[in-house]
Amino acid sequence: MREFLSIERIEPSKRLVVERVKDFGEIYEVFGKNDAVSQSDRCIQCGDPFCLNKCPLHNYIPQWLKAVSEKDLEFAFKLSNEPSPFPEVMGRVCPHDRLCEGDCTLNDGHGAITIGSVETHITEAGFKAGLEPEFPGVTTDKKVAIIGSGPAGLSAATYLLRSGIAVTMYERNDRAGGLLTYGIPNFKLDKKIVERRVELLKKAGMELVLDCEVGRDIDFEEIADKHDAMFISIGATKAKKASLNGENASNVYGAMEYLTAIQRKNFKTTYDKKFDFKDLDVVVIGGGDTAMDCLRTAKREGAKSVTCLYRRDEKNMPGSKKEYKNAMEEGVEFNFLTSPKQIILEDEKAIAVEAVKMTLGAKDDSGRQKVEEQKGSEHRVNADIVIMALGFDTEVPSFLAENGIEINKWGEIIVDEETHETSTSGIYAGGDCYRGADLVVTAAYDGREAARSIVKSLLK
Amino acid sequence: MVEYHDLLRSFKDNCGFGLVANIKNKPSRKVLNDAVTALERMMHRGAVAADGKTGDGSGLLLSMPEEFLRKEALKNSIELPKQFAVASVFSTQKKELDTLEEVCANNDLKIVLLRDVPVDTNALGEQALASLPNITQVFIIPNSIMATERFDALLYLSRKETEHKLESNRNFYIASMSSKVLSYKGLVMPTHIKEFYKDLQDDTFKISFSLFHQRFSTNTLPEWRLAQPFRAVAHNGEINSVEGNRINVEIKSESIKSDVFTDEEIKRILPILQPKSSDSASADNFLEFLLVNGMDFFKAVRGVIPSAWQNAPHMDPELRAFYEYHSTVFEAWDGPAAFSVTDGRYIGCTLDRNGLRPSKYIITNDDMLLIASEYGVIDIDEENIKERGRLQSGEMLGLDLKYGKVLKNDDINNYLKASNPYMKWLNEHMIYLQEHIENQYKPSCEFNPEDIINRQRFFNITQETIEQVIEPMIKDGKEAVGSMGDDTPLAAFSNKQRSFTDFFKQKFAQVTNPPIDPIREKVVMSLNTGFGEVHNILGEIPTHAHRLKAISPIITSEKLEVLKSFGDKKSPRYQSFYNNKTFSTTYESDLKGSLESLANEVISAVKNDGVRIIILDDTDFSKEKFVMPMAMVIGRLNIALLKAGVRHLVSMIAVTGEVIDSHSAAVLIGYGASAIYPSLLFSSVIKLLEESNVIKIDCNDALKSVHTALNGGLMKIMSKMGIATIASYRNTGLFDVMGLSEEIVRECFETSNCALSGLSYDDIDARIKKNHEEAFDDSGFNKIFPLNIGGFYKFYHGAEHHDFGPKVIHAIHKCVDTGKKEDFEELKSLVNNRGLKFIRDFFDLKSDRKPISIDEVEPKEKIFKRFASAAMSLGSISPEAHETIAIAMNRIGGQSNSGEGGEDKDRFDTERNSKIKQVASGRFGVTPAYLRSAEEIQIKVAQGAKPGEGGQLPGHKVTALIGKLRHTVPGVTLISPPPHHDIYSIEDLAQLIFDMKQVNPNARVAVKLVSTMGVGTIAAGVAKAYADKIIISGGDGGTGAAPLTSIKFAGNPWELGLSEAHNALKANNLRGLVEVQTDGGLKTGLDVVKAALLGAESYAFGTGVLTIVGCKMLRICHVNKCSVGVATQDEKLREEFFKGHVDQVINYFTLLAEDVRSIMAELGFKTMEEMIGRSDILKVKDDEFAQKFDFSSVLHQEEGVNTHQQKFNPPFDDNNFEQDVLKEAMVAIQHPDHPIKIQREITNLHRSFGARISGEIAQYYGDEGLKSDTINIKLSGIAGQALGAFLINGVSIDLDGVANDYICKGMHGGKVIIRSKNEGEEFSAGGNTCLYGATGGKLYISGAVGERFAVRNSGALAVVEGTGDNACEYMTGGVVVILGRTGINFGAGMTGGVSFVYDEDHTFVENVNHELVEAVRIDTDEGDEARHYLKKLLKDYLVETGSQKAKDLLENFRVEVRNFWLIKPKNLTKLPLNVEKGD
Repeated sequence: MREFLSIERIEPSKRLVVERVKDFGEIYEVFGKNDAVSQSDRCIQCGDPFCLNKCPLHNYIPQWLKAVSEKDLEFAFKLSNEPSPFPEVMGRVCPHDRLCEGDCTLNDGHGAITIGSVETHITEAGFKAGLEPEFPGVTTDKKVAIIGSGPAGLSAATYLLRSGIAVTMYERNDRAGGLLTYGIPNFKLDKKIVERRVELLKKAGMELVLDCEVGRDIDFEEIADKHDAMFISIGATKAKKASLNGENASNVYGAMEYLTAIQRKNFKTTYDKKFDFKDLDVVVIGGGDTAMDCLRTAKREGAKSVTCLYRRDEKNMPGSKKEYKNAMEEGVEFNFLTSPKQIILEDEKAIAVEAVKMTLGAKDDSGRQKVEEQKGSEHRVNADIVIMALGFDTEVPSFLAENGIEINKWGEIIVDEETHETSTSGIYAGGDCYRGADLVVTAAYDGREAARSIVKSLLK
Repeated sequence: MVEYHDLLRSFKDNCGFGLVANIKNKPSRKVLNDAVTALERMMHRGAVAADGKTGDGSGLLLSMPEEFLRKEALKNSIELPKQFAVASVFSTQKKELDTLEEVCANNDLKIVLLRDVPVDTNALGEQALASLPNITQVFIIPNSIMATERFDALLYLSRKETEHKLESNRNFYIASMSSKVLSYKGLVMPTHIKEFYKDLQDDTFKISFSLFHQRFSTNTLPEWRLAQPFRAVAHNGEINSVEGNRINVEIKSESIKSDVFTDEEIKRILPILQPKSSDSASADNFLEFLLVNGMDFFKAVRGVIPSAWQNAPHMDPELRAFYEYHSTVFEAWDGPAAFSVTDGRYIGCTLDRNGLRPSKYIITNDDMLLIASEYGVIDIDEENIKERGRLQSGEMLGLDLKYGKVLKNDDINNYLKASNPYMKWLNEHMIYLQEHIENQYKPSCEFNPEDIINRQRFFNITQETIEQVIEPMIKDGKEAVGSMGDDTPLAAFSNKQRSFTDFFKQKFAQVTNPPIDPIREKVVMSLNTGFGEVHNILGEIPTHAHRLKAISPIITSEKLEVLKSFGDKKSPRYQSFYNNKTFSTTYESDLKGSLESLANEVISAVKNDGVRIIILDDTDFSKEKFVMPMAMVIGRLNIALLKAGVRHLVSMIAVTGEVIDSHSAAVLIGYGASAIYPSLLFSSVIKLLEESNVIKIDCNDALKSVHTALNGGLMKIMSKMGIATIASYRNTGLFDVMGLSEEIVRECFETSNCALSGLSYDDIDARIKKNHEEAFDDSGFNKIFPLNIGGFYKFYHGAEHHDFGPKVIHAIHKCVDTGKKEDFEELKSLVNNRGLKFIRDFFDLKSDRKPISIDEVEPKEKIFKRFASAAMSLGSISPEAHETIAIAMNRIGGQSNSGEGGEDKDRFDTERNSKIKQVASGRFGVTPAYLRSAEEIQIKVAQGAKPGEGGQLPGHKVTALIGKLRHTVPGVTLISPPPHHDIYSIEDLAQLIFDMKQVNPNARVAVKLVSTMGVGTIAAGVAKAYADKIIISGGDGGTGAAPLTSIKFAGNPWELGLSEAHNALKANNLRGLVEVQTDGGLKTGLDVVKAALLGAESYAFGTGVLTIVGCKMLRICHVNKCSVGVATQDEKLREEFFKGHVDQVINYFTLLAEDVRSIMAELGFKTMEEMIGRSDILKVKDDEFAQKFDFSSVLHQEEGVNTHQQKFNPPFDDNNFEQDVLKEAMVAIQHPDHPIKIQREITNLHRSFGARISGEIAQYYGDEGLKSDTINIKLSGIAGQALGAFLINGVSIDLDGVANDYICKGMHGGKVIIRSKNEGEEFSAGGNTCLYGATGGKLYISGAVGERFAVRNSGALAVVEGTGDNACEYMTGGVVVILGRTGINFGAGMTGGVSFVYDEDHTFVENVNHELVEAVRIDTDEGDEARHYLKKLLKDYLVETGSQKAKDLLENFRVEVRNFWLIKPKNLTKLPLNVEKGD
């Protein structure tokens, strides 16, 4: 351990740009054993493990780094799979540079430990070596229903199943995984990874009901009657609007519909052909991770040009630096300090975005710099397609109110922070439907903690 | 348990002592006069009040002045018969004497005269006068015809009975009551004792011997009765194991059969020990009891203070047998001791096994024997001296007054070993468990996989414990090391799972007694453990050797099985006195009741079923069964068995999951366990090895390593208290119990202090049940990784609170970077709202004043003056960090601290200079100029991270810079010993303070102590030793590396120590003399204000300051890889990654001072001065949990001033002697081209000679000093302690005579020559601990010197003709030539320098500690260079001293060279023989 002076930080190798933009395969290679071991060996094992503190799941990071450096894969696998429901997913999709790696003691000049990549390695190598998280099977007579099969739902299912509680999971889509499946492009997270976890859970005893939207295909009450408790994890999938003139034009899309369509295309299932952007000029509005996903997806889909409009500068972008860099490499154009004023239509179709240049001012209360328009800087950015990637709001199904589940003014379900229980006893919630659009890892945390209190209340 | 009121007024005492006797037992006036003179000349070893009259007590225990007494009786018309005795009685009322008379009459004794002893009260100080008792001599004769022995026995019986009757009356005291000795003692200065006791002026008052004693008590509430000598003993030192010894005496008392007294009489005598006595008084009680009961004088003394025999391979096996036999009933009264004893027929003097007190003797041609702490206490013509020597470690010297014969150590040993066939007895009866075992470490796990997990979870074995505690033990055979102190709450305040033994904080020695080095001085250490009944201590019969023996109290399951087999009727080994029975310590109902019934069950088994070995076992643990804390069980049974009178019959063995490190083991042993089988620890090791894919260590070896680590840890814990053997440690209860209720402490841990009485049996019961529940059900799911992750040593989210957790670190970094108040508010809100984690959190501020405007509050600049950075050495932290802190502290007007390890002279007189210079036990870099550059000199007696322990800077960390600053060779490992080898007692500390004040009269001297219960007593002593400032450090501190168990379990929170010290100083009327500072995790203004209210005037910041300059609490300081360049010497890390800067530090202290000011405004205080000590403003929070604890002692407020009233606390001795010499020398200092010669007569009263002049020279010339021989001082006489201390280039001292202890300590240059008419190995010419920490210079002595010669020498050149034990210990440089015998343990911890030893009788090699050094011959080609160098040295030595020995050696050099050994560190390749060139 503590070899940070003799070993430098390396990141897992990426496929060559020219190659990777041709397909939707994951762009990062998974660390091999040697890299994982030597990178882990850099860890200081510090007294205040900032990484673990910053991680929303509080993963046993220093502990498994030590295990990896000592080449004890089995032990690392156990440590890693204890507090995290699917570390190999988190290793790929977490914004490590803002969380564990961002807070890593060594991230002040030495280069943080590549925590995420090692995390992926552990479980991938573990699976390859035949290791599997153990489940006891359904050993109790308790049953819990989970609505929504996204990260929060899968996490809750994992921990409930580990306690021998039966789980029925309802998903309105044709596949489980929620955002993991349809929100995150395959080049970031191979869908096989998600499927593997879902299969594991099914093997452990989870009943998965697909194409079944609660309130439409099945009554909420019916589920409630059949189960001892419920966990709602329906996410936040409604695209935010910018309230621009012209944003309702037919070639202006929401990010999620685009990503879902292309993923369906990749699954070789039916999808709407209007999302084929080959040889078109695509403009994406927004600077978050979803914007990056759209930009890079469009690039892979053969768009003529792919441009990102973002009203602040590079430094202030909310998305992960890593993803920005990847997008840059792949040929995405970034127009920073550019704010859309309206979408210019021709024949009711968008042909360009009228934008204005911004300047950064003083920091506001939240610590972000304020922006101001530069007078006379209006200009046009041509676009055949405009994608709005401005974030998501929660959808509010009617069964919430009908069952006394309170929500706040943003439509987010209100839960007790300790227990994740909603205002209706026995019904729990977590993930984006409670937090608003947030990270996979926080959803996983909610699922775990909700499961903890469900187990407590059911098995006592 | 000590009441708080008593704690503040309790004391420790040390002293000057000795005896003088006429070998032929001829009474004379001279003996008396000599005794009084000797006492007078050791005044500096006692304490003196300003009036020059009130002291801490002195006294004489004299042979019967028969002529005088008969004369006095006759005056009252009483003609005394041949048999008579005189009691010396202190009383206040006539009826007390009536009681004595009644008791005597009952015992067939008759009082014939009550004589008021004539006294002159003018000789007394005010305080002594106020408490002056009636002093009466009671003349007693037998009422019927009886043998002398019976007469003496009845005198003793009567005295004991009278004492019992008047026990509650502290004013009544019988100083002596004997037919052979008579006491004259009291609260009187030695200079006035003759004036006070008019009897002593009478010409007919003649005596043949006298024990004498001058007391130095740490408190200022001396009592007449406390003066020494006692009835049989005068003791200089401190008995560290006294609590255990006291209980053990009680245990032994259960089975006493005496030839002198009937059983009925014995009952009347018991208890043997007078309650509420000092350690010395208890030892006196016990020894006297043995002697009165006819025990052999020498056996009794050696039984109580044995020599180190267990690990002393050089010892005569028959003598070892004597000791081993006696160890079945006696355990050492362990601690530094020079012990003079008499029973009237014999006089003896013995030294503790480690030689920690000076004891020097002279035998004259005219039949005088003098033993004293110092030479020179009586003027004796050199021609009259037949022998001048000193006792070595563990030696005894005796005098048989009947036959007029001096008995040397060898004579006594020969007598002892031959007095009975001990070896045969042992062979026949003693059983060594090891002999019956084939493989002691069987690699089989006792528990099934699921069961062991539940156990690990219940007994708090977390993944962290495995990684941080168990793995290091497996891999290194040593305890794990950590860094950066402890920032977690006390177990009592924690809401997380904690082990029960966490409630116990280890005690440690500081100031009044020294800790031991258990590694380098392990020759004195032993873990030898015996099982079986404690027999009648007064009988010596073969069957007393019936014991089962183990070499360690930690046993394995195999040893346990063997042990059990001896008590198993079905086994062929069966012997009834080893009957054993196993008792389960699990329970299903309530804790308190279950404990009670277990105690009853055990007592009944002992009384009715003949059970002799009690095995307490928690293996029964299950989902249904809880476990009583083993420490509680052991403690409770120990007390219950004692109360039932059967404790002596049994040994207790714990089989437990609770013991996972040395601390938990020590707790069980400390409360009475004989042995421990740590079942779960061993099983966890086996499981770990079975499951681990990484650790490829043979299971056998791993278990052995863990066993070794535990043993090493136990020795460390014992040694911390200065206790060498586990037998003496057992039963001592040397812990402060934190936060358990008084009820629990009284019933289970009676010998310990109860701090913050709080949690009851029910609370503990509830905690056990909660842990139990969580062990089986982790509030949720089945785990893939089943153990808890931990969080006790390092931060883990949601686990134990860490006060320097990630959030706090981030907040500190942010606010010091921006300097913004709002960022500081963030830090404040984190710290001030952390909940009830530390003692200070339990208090609200409720001022009795109205808030004032902040403008009225004193400016921040005034507050800055009260801030200091805590000691952090350059070595532990990087030069960049060190200097950044120094500059910042200087800029704001605070103080920075050099830490131990020197400071670059280029920094002196610049803003990079540290105003505080530290002097620690390694004395690294302590030179005259270093001391002279200080505004404050801080003597570090203990440090928070590891009080009572030494340290080690591994060679690879000793860079060129560090080597230079420390005056050592780069790459050479540097060891700091646990004690300061010149502070074994309070008078030694006074001496060191005196030294410092000579070298630098302008600096204040501070003494750094660590919080523990009883620190108030120490603080009072330190104030009396003339320190100007006292620092009470929290036990949580520590930036360097330390063993984890020390970081966690030794030392108390500062709040407790600060409040106690502050109040004890007040109770003793000493508070005004000294400033009080505290440190320990202070972060916000609220912390500082609370510290002020509890009595601290200034505040130091250690960890906090490091975090300011970038520390992130990595806790890896010990591996030199600090990634932020703070605690590392790695150049790359320092240059590229250290980002700390001065402004950060200034920002922080500015924000802090402003925060303090705003709180002051709210409280209505304009100045801090008026706020200090106002603990009445602190109110315990109105909170259910807070109300559980008793904080009254913390908030207690004594009467008196709250702050220091003088900048300096000047010593009694103004050192006019050297001031006068300095005046003369000043000419040469001003005109160094004109050398000067000065002549003086010197006596032992003139101490630290040379230091004053050297300091003056250093002021102007730095450490380079002057050209050699610029100031040449010729002295004649006997020099006082520390001759040539901190001597500098240019000063030569030529002494015709001898000198005492500490010659040339800290010498940097110049030379000291000591020669006298009686020269050579047979005559001592110097005392103990010479050249301690010397960095250069030359010392030639044509005689022998005492123990620990050249300890930690790093540059001086010395030639002497013989030394005591432990010579050249920890030496890192320089050259030492010894032309005669050395004691044992030569070269322990010697990592540098070389030594030549002349070994005529070829015994030397046995005496070498071979761990680090090797002895090679020089009569080889390879030895050519060394040989010639030696010859050159001898020639020089001959020229300077005229030594006959040197002359002979040189004349026969070709032959004699064969008898020389060269001793050098094993890895030293080039011999550093050129001292002048810096080798």
